[in-house]
Amino acid sequence: MNAEKIVTILKDSGLYGWEVNDIKTEGWEFYFIRHRLDQNRVKNVEHITVKVYALSEDGEYLGSASCEISPTASEEEADALIKSLGYRASLVKNRAYTLNTPCGAKPESAVLPDISAVSRDFIETMKSLPETESEDINSYEIFVSLKTRHFISSTGIEFTESCPDSMIEVVVNARKDGQEIELYRSYSSGACDREALRKELIRTFAFGRDRLTTVPTPPLGRADVIFSTEDACRVYEYFASRLSAGMIYRKMSSWKLGEEITPGGNGDSLTLKAVKYLPNSSQNRSFDAEGAPVKDTLMLEDGVARAYLGGRMFSSYLGLENSFIPSNFEVSGGTRPEAELRKGPYLEVVEFSDFQVDAMTGDIFGEIRLAYLHDGEKIIPVSGGSVSGSMLEAAGALQASEERVLYGNWLIPAVTKLPSLTVTGAE
Amino acid sequence: MKAPFSRYLVSIKSALKTLIECLDEEYDYVSALAADSKGFAVRVSQTSKSVSSETMTTERGIVIRVCRDGLYSEYALNSFDPEAPLEAAEEIKKALDRQFALLKSTGTAVYETPVLSDEEETVFAEKETELLPEETDLKELVEFLSALSDRAMTLGEHMLECSTSAQSTHICKMFLTKNRDLCQSYVYSEGTVVAITNKDGHTQYGYEGVSGDIGPEIFARLEDRVEKAVSVAEELLNAERIEPGEYEVITSPEVTGLIAHEAFGHGVEMDMFVKNRALGKEYIGKRVGSDKVTMHEGALCAEDVTSYVFDDEGTPAGDVTEIENGILKTGICDALSALRLGSAPTGNGKRENFEHKVYTRMTNTIFDSGDDTLEDMISSIKYGFLLEGMESGMEDPKHWGIQCIIKLGREIKDGRITGRVFAPIIMTGYVPDLLGNITMRSKDREVFGNGGCGKGHKEWVKVADGGPYLKTKARLG
Repeated sequence: MNAEKIVTILKDSGLYGWEVNDIKTEGWEFYFIRHRLDQNRVKNVEHITVKVYALSEDGEYLGSASCEISPTASEEEADALIKSLGYRASLVKNRAYTLNTPCGAKPESAVLPDISAVSRDFIETMKSLPETESEDINSYEIFVSLKTRHFISSTGIEFTESCPDSMIEVVVNARKDGQEIELYRSYSSGACDREALRKELIRTFAFGRDRLTTVPTPPLGRADVIFSTEDACRVYEYFASRLSAGMIYRKMSSWKLGEEITPGGNGDSLTLKAVKYLPNSSQNRSFDAEGAPVKDTLMLEDGVARAYLGGRMFSSYLGLENSFIPSNFEVSGGTRPEAELRKGPYLEVVEFSDFQVDAMTGDIFGEIRLAYLHDGEKIIPVSGGSVSGSMLEAAGALQASEERVLYGNWLIPAVTKLPSLTVTGAE
Repeated sequence: MKAPFSRYLVSIKSALKTLIECLDEEYDYVSALAADSKGFAVRVSQTSKSVSSETMTTERGIVIRVCRDGLYSEYALNSFDPEAPLEAAEEIKKALDRQFALLKSTGTAVYETPVLSDEEETVFAEKETELLPEETDLKELVEFLSALSDRAMTLGEHMLECSTSAQSTHICKMFLTKNRDLCQSYVYSEGTVVAITNKDGHTQYGYEGVSGDIGPEIFARLEDRVEKAVSVAEELLNAERIEPGEYEVITSPEVTGLIAHEAFGHGVEMDMFVKNRALGKEYIGKRVGSDKVTMHEGALCAEDVTSYVFDDEGTPAGDVTEIENGILKTGICDALSALRLGSAPTGNGKRENFEHKVYTRMTNTIFDSGDDTLEDMISSIKYGFLLEGMESGMEDPKHWGIQCIIKLGREIKDGRITGRVFAPIIMTGYVPDLLGNITMRSKDREVFGNGGCGKGHKEWVKVADGGPYLKTKARLG
């Protein structure tokens, strides 16, 4: 069974609406222990997902149901699945909304790289790192995928677009006087950026050295906390989530277009933009999962909400034109150079167990694995304890650097400072 | 009724055996794991409804594992043509040869591993269920979940939304080698109620779930969970921030399960021993907790979402005593790690799906019960907290740190619950301290199978965990 045959069945089905997402993936994977190959893997798969829509007789409700149809499914099997989807969609009573329609947008013509060449870039970069007796690589896993997506809908949208999608997970060891520690890192990208990967891992070696000299985090009570690693993306995801059509429609966010999101705040006024393209992002795409065209869109401008973005149903309910599910983001609005943000006492956390910002409640939490306590004079590496707080209070006081840095699908300020978070000590 | 084994898998078995025979001429070991798992996921809230045939574990595809000269390689595909197994074998060899060429040109050395044994074995297991997900009429289920959501909205003063979900999956897996022919079929289901409240711009939520290795009949149990979800969401609106510090605590079974999972679940996954990434390797036979700590792990330990007959490498399900009266006895192990460590596999080799590699993974991870009552445990505390509801956790097997994000803490003063609620709670600390301070454990125990578990930040699989109420000391923030 291929997508073409499925489309033929759908066209003959009499269903109100449908979408077919056909994604073909060629994947190469390499798993290393130290620098010895533990396992190699090849993936050659196709996933065809079908979503059908059913409009109630009175036109009041529009329901949808989806399933994956295997390439090995027989025609009878596919036919039965699609019939079942039609019935299931009729059970779903969502208030009627309009589906995406063609708008003349065309996919960017992207030439996929050679999978062997991208894999080679990763392998050679990892082997060329300046490891020493005290800092080295414990293990790493390389995932390189080339994805091609063909989308067809009953409303006439049809396109094919491709993108490389890579990920590397690295565990770094550092040791001294019989004590050994590890640091965990994972990086997502399109292809392999040798220089960026090398730079990040050399920085991680330095963190490893410092981790060996830590003292328990003292109970600081309230402290200014600086984020200068990929964890800062979690902070900015909070803003993007609060401007999502779903959270707005469900009244889980009260941010209003044209209004300041943190009135009276004394922090920087952020600008958040959804963008179609970021250098080497695995999320570069011309259309979202539902076939809506992706456009560079200001969501937040100088602290004022400018656009909600999201999937078709909630966007339609909110009357949003030109909405889509965003996948790449740019944040700006920092008013000070990094050096200025680093003046005075603060705690810079560079390694959490798992840093989280809950978009719904605003709660912030993370256990500290490595942080630097800047007391105004000395810099003391510390570990243990935790950082907590609430974005409901911290968002308005956030300060960001003018300098920016790219982490996968987020271009964000290189340094982010959240004043007055709670720091539990480990003493 | 018995959950019937996949007709699709039966239809390709002979061709897969031919494929294995063909590859067997080139490689030292060949196996095939084929999966055909179907299910549904229904989500109903006040603002939207959805029906999908996909759950975390639905899949149809095949992964071929081969070994040559000590190197294990895999090829995952989902367009196998049973009419052309020899062509598939050629394609697999060609694709792997391209990788071998790259590895040779980059001078990559191999972590050599012995060849897996292939003793003759046949298993055909179809577990019991009342209903099958693929035969369930979802009309009644959508109506049931809608009624639950509607009822929840009437139960709290500040209710903003109530999301309900019901998912059921019929797992069918077939593991084949030259000498082994294993087939299993079973059903598991899980459902949730999430009550969301809002007051003065502050949003909170309460979460309750049901899970088990049975069919969609389990969802009726959600009826009893609605009140609790709503009352927690309402209570959290008035929750106070805890003063950071070390406290005497009682962990509810859900939080106990989270500790089991993060502390000595991940901590004794023996693929981490191979990489020297787990401190547990040095502590086998040594004390890691108080006498009150006994912990089991294995697909046979409980009947829940991951209670299979054999794992994704064809190893029979097990029941491992990891900690006995505070002494660390052993870890859990996948088949390749077992070969490298010279130990026996424990039935814990799991994949996210056929496209993913096998790692050592948890199944049911459970603390044993004791003889205390919850009332006695509460009355023994001068000042502390009863910790309820899990949000998330993170392991740190190398250093035995632990991070548990807990929904709330109920204040205990002079042996009584005061009614004051504190949230959210971050519990952190050193695992042997946390387990070493366990002084009481209740008679009853519960197991929870909602949610998933990642290895690092990926490779999501179903797991279950739990245990009794435990009394210990912990650092809260």
